[in-house]
Amino acid sequence: MEKISELIDGELEGREAQQQFARLKQDNELAQCWATFHLIGDAMRGERPLSQGFRERLTLRLAGEPTVLAPRPFASKRYVAYALSAAASLSAVSLVGWMAFFNNPLAPLPELAQAPNTTPSAAAQTPTAPLASVPSEGRMNEYLIAHQEFSPSTEIQGLAPYIRGVSSTRQDQGR
Amino acid sequence: MKGAWPIVFVGLAGPLLAAEPTAPAASQDGLALLKKMASASRRLNYSGTFVYQHAGQNETSRIVHFVNPAGGEFEKLETLDGPAREVIRTNDQVTCYLPDSKTVIIEKRNTRRFPALLPEQLSGVADNYVVSVTGMDRVAGYDCRVVVLEPKDKLRYGHQFCAEAASGLPLRARTISEKNQPLEAFAFTELRIGGNFSRDQVRSRYAAKSKDWKVDHSALAISDVPADTGWSLTRQPTGFKKLTELKRSIAGRTAMVSHIVYSDGLAAVSVFIEPLPKARPARSLSHQGAVNIYIRPVADHMVTVVGEAPAATVMQIANSLEFKGVSGK
Repeated sequence: MEKISELIDGELEGREAQQQFARLKQDNELAQCWATFHLIGDAMRGERPLSQGFRERLTLRLAGEPTVLAPRPFASKRYVAYALSAAASLSAVSLVGWMAFFNNPLAPLPELAQAPNTTPSAAAQTPTAPLASVPSEGRMNEYLIAHQEFSPSTEIQGLAPYIRGVSSTRQDQGR
Repeated sequence: MKGAWPIVFVGLAGPLLAAEPTAPAASQDGLALLKKMASASRRLNYSGTFVYQHAGQNETSRIVHFVNPAGGEFEKLETLDGPAREVIRTNDQVTCYLPDSKTVIIEKRNTRRFPALLPEQLSGVADNYVVSVTGMDRVAGYDCRVVVLEPKDKLRYGHQFCAEAASGLPLRARTISEKNQPLEAFAFTELRIGGNFSRDQVRSRYAAKSKDWKVDHSALAISDVPADTGWSLTRQPTGFKKLTELKRSIAGRTAMVSHIVYSDGLAAVSVFIEPLPKARPARSLSHQGAVNIYIRPVADHMVTVVGEAPAATVMQIANSLEFKGVSGK
């Protein structure tokens, strides 16, 4: 299992790496662990939005695993240890993120806690049927630009608010 | 940039959380600072890099603002991340270059821009927000004064600005939702105030390249003459007043569009009314940072309401819009 983590970290070269790749192809559990490690790495680096409930599912699965403190006669238990410590640092990361958020309402939410397509506020308090708000994704640029020129906030901030009108917020971009 | 923000911003929330009911004197202080900010951003020469933060994303842009002593205000905004985009303002014309779609959008106004924050706008701010100067902070290496605008009701968002201590130039602006959630923030990360500028610095890099791009010429024909559009609100949200009402063209639209702007002194909500497109649009709500956009068909018209106000406010305006009579064409 250590080999896999070394492989992910790019510490193995040539023959040794080849060997591990071969093991990955044969061992289903190992392959799964490879995917999990990468997912954890991605999440920690905040590289892609995770599907909703990912953490719950991960936690559920981890909870189903034997704990690290139990005797471990089998090598496969070491994966559990690694994954658990990775999960521990993962929750530490999101905890730091949350603390930062609570200390400062303007710090962005950590990627994990974020559902990019929903604004709960949008549907609330409306006289008509609730309507979910979606990111405008550049479809309304001409209206935003036309509006901006009349907004007092433009008086205060100069051209900066125009960034809204040309902002590229497509969720799939830059990921 | 991602991931750096929580660290950068930790500890900056003090002023916001510390916002207390303020004495009128403190409020006057805050209003005076707002006025100073508005004039500073138009009067000063400055260049810098700022970050626009919204929906957990960060976009970095470069901005140059230049006032020609011989007359004329020039400004250039250029995105540094993702697809290249540029906004150039020369006096009363705003030009957006979108190289991705090879499009140029030109927003031209025949009338002069509003002078920096009219007195009635400031009184609107005082009526609708609790304004307080809460302390000092530091942004992009400059000491700045923090002004907090706490909304008096749920119809508008909260704001927090940090204005450079000496000049009053706004270095950071944040918008906070009715649920006390961050919506968007602009903040300089690097800035130079003053200095000599040349016209070249505020010229588009696409000026030559864009010759064969699609230009939304219709916007060039804007005649934003105040007009009675015949439309009005039955339930105008508290604190919002009509700022202007006009007929104009909108980039990419052939028909004239009625445009009515409502403002509470700080936030503005625009109502656009135009003939229904061939495909009748469904009701839809979308957002871009702190701006909510609501589209609603009304009889044989399409109504688009755009504003940096809560969705409920934007929708209230859209839903209470009524055609009251023959418009003066």
